Amino acid sequence: MIRFVARRVLAAIPIGLVVTLGVYALVFAMPGDPLRELAGDKPIPAAVLAAKRAQFHLDDPFIVQYLLSMKDILTGHFGTTFAGADIADQLRLRIPVTLKLTLLANAFQWTLGLFFGIYAGFKRNGWVDRSLLLTTLVLLAVPGLVAYFAAQYLFGVELKWFPVSGVLEGFPRSYLLPALVIGVLGFAGLARLLRTSIVETVNADFVKTARAKGLGEQRVLWRHILPNALLPVITFIGLDLAGMFGGAIITESIFNLPGLGQFMFQAIKLKEGGVVVLLSTLAFISFIVINLLVDVLYGVVDPRVRNV
Amino acid sequence: MRRLTGVVGAALGLALVLASCGDGKSSDSGSGGGAKSEVIAIAADPLEYINPLNENGSPGIQVAMAMFAPLVTTDPNTGKLQNVMADSVTPDKTSQTWTIKLKPGNTFQNGQPVTAKDYVDSWNMTAEGSNAWKNNGFFSKVDGYDALNPPTADGATPKPTAVKTLSGLKQVDNLTFTVKLKVPFSQFGLTLQYLGLAPLPEEVRKNPDAYKRKPIGNGPYKLAADWNAGDDIKLAKWDGYKASAAPEADSITYRFIPNADTAYNEFLAGNVDFTDVPSTKVKSFKTDAPDQWVTSVSSGANYLVFPAWDPRYKNPKLRHAFSEAIDRKAFADLVGLSDPAKGLIAPDINGYRADACKYCDFDATKAKQLLQEAGGFSGVVNISYSTTSATGQIFAEAIGNMLRQNLGLQVKYTGKQGSEITELADSRKLDGLRFGGWGHDYPSIEDYLTPMFKSNGDANFAGYSNPALDALLAKGDAEPDQDKAIKLYQQAEDIALEDMPLIPLYTKSNAYLHSAKIEPRVSKYVGVSALWATFK
Repeated sequence: MIRFVARRVLAAIPIGLVVTLGVYALVFAMPGDPLRELAGDKPIPAAVLAAKRAQFHLDDPFIVQYLLSMKDILTGHFGTTFAGADIADQLRLRIPVTLKLTLLANAFQWTLGLFFGIYAGFKRNGWVDRSLLLTTLVLLAVPGLVAYFAAQYLFGVELKWFPVSGVLEGFPRSYLLPALVIGVLGFAGLARLLRTSIVETVNADFVKTARAKGLGEQRVLWRHILPNALLPVITFIGLDLAGMFGGAIITESIFNLPGLGQFMFQAIKLKEGGVVVLLSTLAFISFIVINLLVDVLYGVVDPRVRNV
Repeated sequence: MRRLTGVVGAALGLALVLASCGDGKSSDSGSGGGAKSEVIAIAADPLEYINPLNENGSPGIQVAMAMFAPLVTTDPNTGKLQNVMADSVTPDKTSQTWTIKLKPGNTFQNGQPVTAKDYVDSWNMTAEGSNAWKNNGFFSKVDGYDALNPPTADGATPKPTAVKTLSGLKQVDNLTFTVKLKVPFSQFGLTLQYLGLAPLPEEVRKNPDAYKRKPIGNGPYKLAADWNAGDDIKLAKWDGYKASAAPEADSITYRFIPNADTAYNEFLAGNVDFTDVPSTKVKSFKTDAPDQWVTSVSSGANYLVFPAWDPRYKNPKLRHAFSEAIDRKAFADLVGLSDPAKGLIAPDINGYRADACKYCDFDATKAKQLLQEAGGFSGVVNISYSTTSATGQIFAEAIGNMLRQNLGLQVKYTGKQGSEITELADSRKLDGLRFGGWGHDYPSIEDYLTPMFKSNGDANFAGYSNPALDALLAKGDAEPDQDKAIKLYQQAEDIALEDMPLIPLYTKSNAYLHSAKIEPRVSKYVGVSALWATFK
């Protein structure tokens, strides 16, 4: 087990370097001068421009900028953003916001996804199953951006059930609406996957064997079908959590939640390579950790993969 | 390139005020309470510090306007200058040396009196290039600026200079100081209303970083609560403010909502007293919030800019032809909340003439004729637009279609990041036309003509240069009589319109929403202000 984990972590290091270098190159290749972008149409005094350029190594060649940024990240000297915000402070403030949003959204998504997926899978072709297929088809087709604004307008502005934006009302009230929207949009894929997986498992030989042994229907469902049907779903967790951060960029912007996604959005807007790489590194590390946990969990659920 | 960020000078204070309970529907957004409380939301990223001298962006200046007081300001009712911190501002005969006398009895919020020394030292700090403060450029007109700002090689950090003070800045006594300019400048008195010239008290000057979230101002409001990263900014009325009448609000909270559409929704939900109307809602705000909106002509003008470095556009007749081929009425309608431009300056500026431009009326026949006289145009007209703006492409195609239909030209479009277009233009490499916009720092006709048309002007987007115009500007700058000075500036404007390095397109109005609780101050001279709202 230890060896397995160590191997995975070591393998992640070169991948991480390639990823961060790639992200940095992308930001570097973005057109426009970040400091000018900050100033809009106003001319900036030459002295201010020169000082800022020197401070952020903007005149160094690409690879030097990248190495300096990575050195800062690895030594924990995060410095400040172009606008003068202390990055370590920002992370302290923002990580909890994104965590709260992500966890709450996942809670909704999993509750809905497991409930409907299992129900529809066990009661195939019933009305719940049919309407679930239709509903999830619609949900999968709705662009997130539209759904967020529509939900904000309907439930926040018109019905006043939830705050419109911001985190003034704290957890969970301020997070409920965005998390619900993410959860509802996200559960569709999960429910469909689980349903299909259950339907496939029902016809497997071991299920027939279990039934032939005279086990009760409930026992067959919960002890034999479901654990096996959950295997592909576990893989889905890892991929889904990785996508969460990308989604947070949009959600946090619309609902004005001061989390990492909003930070990333601002950083991309201003071409702040250092911040973008820092946040990508964070996302990458969490991705590696989550997938490691998923693989370990897989081994717990499925003895067949334990010694792979 | 229509981002007029940082354009809002002190004269243009547009404080965006959100209040805790919008239209009587109870919804607590955490304001300080009290009968006259407002919460201010700004559709921008949160501020990292408050220091008017190191701030030229509109969100920062807006917040600073509540906490700091300028030397002078524009009277919202008459458009005339009135004193705030200053007792008198007097030029000498040549307008080159200005004497500024302060009113006695004003203090900072830490109780220390505001003296001439505070101004002189704060300004010297800002003028020193190595401090890299954003309003450094303001002092480039003052004697001795160059000694504090030696040229710096690319990529090098400006070194602190041995000289720490502007030779043109002299303290006379406790309340009097003089400013000697490099050349005569009759408009200097007007520039003093810029809030970026507010003084900092001595304890802040010693260590500005330590006070970046604990500003000590000299204005009507002070911090009411600790302000840490991520917090709203909460202000309370400071009873020590004596310099001029203070606004009505007892407490103000500024909330930052970077997404403008979200801020708009917060208003509709009744959590906000005052917000900007984002460009996406220009067509719908009057029905979304009936009787709760105000508009005012914004102090900004928008143009189509020719590349002075491209010989194909060299003939002024060709530029007139382009201008005549544009149906400004239709274009202004497309932009929304806009009026066709008839001159190079904004309509709310003293010296504006509604008929200044002779080539700004849509006339396709005349346009074709002018194009013929100019010898036609070879090749394809390229129009660059900013991909950072939601509307860039639409506007570019509208202009392109007019040029195609009315002049029979071939047109193509190039979308790039705004800053990239600026860079290309600055290095004289940009092909064809681009959009430009300008808003003044202080309300003077001069603050349009000098930056945009003077050779090597700060915002001379076109790369235009005409010695006759430069001479007229210098004459206006040296003319102490304001009315005569304006006449000279108008002559300069006429030359610029005749040469037409850029085509005036439209002037935009700004729209704001306000709750039933407040009535924002609307002035044709200084726009809309929620900081100065009256409560019902």
